[in-house]
Amino acid sequence: MILYDYVLSASCYKVRLMAALLGTPLTLRAVNFHPGREHKSPEMLALNPKGTLPILQDRDTVLTDSADILRRLTADHPEWQNTDDDRWLAFASDLNDSLGLARLHDVIGYEADIDKARAAGVSALRKLEAHLTEQRFDGLIFLTGSNPTIADIACFPNTALAPDGGVTLDPYPSIRLWMRAIRSLPGFIEMPGIHRLHELAHPA
Amino acid sequence: MNAAIDNHWYPVAMISGIDAPRETLLLGKKISLGREDGTCWVLDASGAELPTVERFGHLWTSPGQPNRDLFTIPEADSPGRRLVDVGSVKVKCSPLRAVENFLDIAHFPFVHTDILGAEPHTEVDRYDVKIREEVDEVWATKVKFYQPQAAKSAAGGITTEYMYRVPAPTCSVLYKTCPPRPGEWDVITLFVQPLTEEWCEVWPWMALYDDESTMSEMVSFQQLIFMQDRSILENQLPRKLPLDPGMEVPTQADMTSVAYRRWLKKIGYTYGAQLVAA
Amino acid sequence: MDWVAVGLKEDVPPGMVIPSRISDTELALWCTPSGRYHAWSDRCPHRGMRLSHGFVRGDTLACIYHGWQYNEAGSCEYIPAHPKLTPPDTICVPTYACAEAGGVIWVSLAGTDMPLPVLGGRVPIRSLQISLSAPDLAAHFGAHSFTTIAVVSDHEALLAVQPCTDRTCMVHALAAPDADRKVVSRWLEDLRATLEGVPS
Repeated sequence: MILYDYVLSASCYKVRLMAALLGTPLTLRAVNFHPGREHKSPEMLALNPKGTLPILQDRDTVLTDSADILRRLTADHPEWQNTDDDRWLAFASDLNDSLGLARLHDVIGYEADIDKARAAGVSALRKLEAHLTEQRFDGLIFLTGSNPTIADIACFPNTALAPDGGVTLDPYPSIRLWMRAIRSLPGFIEMPGIHRLHELAHPA
Repeated sequence: MNAAIDNHWYPVAMISGIDAPRETLLLGKKISLGREDGTCWVLDASGAELPTVERFGHLWTSPGQPNRDLFTIPEADSPGRRLVDVGSVKVKCSPLRAVENFLDIAHFPFVHTDILGAEPHTEVDRYDVKIREEVDEVWATKVKFYQPQAAKSAAGGITTEYMYRVPAPTCSVLYKTCPPRPGEWDVITLFVQPLTEEWCEVWPWMALYDDESTMSEMVSFQQLIFMQDRSILENQLPRKLPLDPGMEVPTQADMTSVAYRRWLKKIGYTYGAQLVAA
Repeated sequence: MDWVAVGLKEDVPPGMVIPSRISDTELALWCTPSGRYHAWSDRCPHRGMRLSHGFVRGDTLACIYHGWQYNEAGSCEYIPAHPKLTPPDTICVPTYACAEAGGVIWVSLAGTDMPLPVLGGRVPIRSLQISLSAPDLAAHFGAHSFTTIAVVSDHEALLAVQPCTDRTCMVHALAAPDADRKVVSRWLEDLRATLEGVPS
């Protein structure tokens, strides 16, 4: 499988992270999204007329929606899916439109109504915090239960990268513990802005 | 007006990225820039034309009267190098903090883990630092560090040798062991545009020997590295760079940063600097 | 100065560091692997990096920037760039009085002989941010001091208030041991919506 990838994209990271956790090999093709706008090049538009990333190519199949890609990657891994995933995949899209947009604005100067994007992001984080807090009351750490599913992987990147867009994560203890649980998963990989748990390393 | 600050050249755009005219900030003041008939122009807020230089793929300007030409990087002109426009990233920190971080190697194992450094290879050996009075630049040489993946073109861990050069207060040039061509130096720069004292736009640019990687891969690699730094830079307190000793504690590994701070103080470059311990 | 609640024990498990603050004083709040809590100035003396971004390794808190490790007294004891060096005693982080009682972590910036607040057998429910200053929140309940506000009519709730900025505070809520935690949590969400003037 080939992933057309941009190293700073939260949505591409969802795919890289999911594949890493599954141990599924991906061939990465770096796309110069910024500053090159290569995702809008004729070659890339031929593959994905929407001109967006990520793009997953698996022989003759081309998927361009990160939720579809997560479902496909876990098709043979039912433990990574849950009946509640759909609402969280939709929620992940809200996170991308709010926190994700604020991040692109602050980092690479995307046009955005930044106050509105951040306010929508805070509102989404409060919902996430409320849900994760109730999960903890039931002894559950992840969004849909005691094990992670594609719901968690879809919501994690834009949440963890919120500070890049000027939205603090300081007031959300349940989100913090949830992110830590994801960062502790075997096979976890990082991206810029999300560092690994250095406490796990033991220097000689 | 402060000549010690205004009379420098500053990067304000990547030439290949200038399509429509646009506004930006330089030293807290609005400027506009664009390109007409292949030539770039920059205007200040009153509409007066500012001087320009087109070099290293970037457009440079100055709000003052620069008393010397923009620095050159002769090594970057040698044939066979690929010139990489990395694009820009905005960071909420002093432009001087961004430069100082670029001069630092001790953070590699913790911030660029498994790429530019890795535990337990954390030790920084003594290296040479001096202010070269004849050119008024800061230089650090014989800097060595073990790196798991020094460049996109590196196949495995190697001890990399570095030279750092600060030719202008908000610019730094790094010369680095070139994996595919022993004996040559890769050139990696950090050009910083001071938007305000606590907000900057960073324009990395590279001149590399690398016949394997695609241009997109080289851009990705450098953006990955710089965005790892950004999460540090936005969380240093204070946001401005303290120039007076006492507020922060340097060690021998920080000799380049110590020289950089001393040089800034000597030339009176105080934009983005904190002078009195708060 | 009073003890101020800065977090709940369940939210800062052993081996974790979190950012917190009391008004303008920014804190790195961390718990050793054996369960001792510390509240420090959130700034590494080396290059000013926030220690709350760091990591707990053994009984030390390490800075994420260069890995400098600080022991429980706040003194630097290891600098990875110079592994053979014994760091001078002068490299240390300002520390504050910090104690855990009743499942709540309390900090006193000035140090205090006062006893920790009495919680009346209540148990912690959750912490949440309210976009209202701590004095304004206290005024809403007619309380003179904002440190702890008892709201006996609803779930026997007690709110321990942490002043953050001019426009925000954190509320650490406790309730009767037999209270339904989800019910209390939702009551808190409604309370916040009312206080912030936003329909829930």
